Amino acid sequence: MSEEIFVKIPSNYKFLNLVDKVTCELAEEHGLGQELIDEVAISVIEACTNAIEHGNKCCPEETVEIVYRLMDDRFSVEVYDHGNGFDYKSYFEHIPDPKDIHHSRGRGLYIMRQMMDALEFEMVSGRGMKVTLQKLKDV
Amino acid sequence: MKIETSELEGIGIIELKGRLMGGPDAGALRSAVDRFIQEGIKKFVIDLGRVNWINSTGMGILLTEHSRVRKLGGDLKLSNVSSRIRNILYVTKMTLIFECFDDIESAVESFYFD
Repeated sequence: MSEEIFVKIPSNYKFLNLVDKVTCELAEEHGLGQELIDEVAISVIEACTNAIEHGNKCCPEETVEIVYRLMDDRFSVEVYDHGNGFDYKSYFEHIPDPKDIHHSRGRGLYIMRQMMDALEFEMVSGRGMKVTLQKLKDV
Repeated sequence: MKIETSELEGIGIIELKGRLMGGPDAGALRSAVDRFIQEGIKKFVIDLGRVNWINSTGMGILLTEHSRVRKLGGDLKLSNVSSRIRNILYVTKMTLIFECFDDIESAVESFYFD
């Protein structure tokens, strides 16, 4: 069984605070512990930052859609933008050292990959980039 | 993000409030550091006690200022780091770069032993 919650925000950083609050609230409601809640919230903020910055190029008319799926064994979040995507496969093959001050973008991807149990990227025809982040519940 | 600055025993104290996430935040923090440097201060404590959250771009801003200050022969330490921010520092291996303290006073005191 799965419950679905949908949030849509304009491409403006100020709404990330709202996303953060919704993410933390839903993750807590779904039974995740504080450490896992923090990891999910940090990762969702990174995905939304990328969606605003690199996907929608900070265009205020473009939106970022976030779909939360509360599943029995996991907490899943999908983040959609309206951009052209990027070559994430080659990016992950050459992911820079997060301590390197010259690679700010790679640091966000690195954080998401380290903190989530699953991280997937997909180009959705007619829509844009979709990032799926999944955190398994403690058993 | 809002910034409050003060000086304690020759150390520049920079207290951040709100979200640290890039854009104008980078320039604001750089200006605050520069004002101290112009006064001859090269040792800093950045207090994150009132930072709600930080993203990877915000981490990059801290890293840049740390690098800049170190090149001048100074140092930059963090205080009041929440468990959430500490988690990001740990995952990105920045705990190897930033010294973190429970409060401003402990961070200032640590400079005596450097």
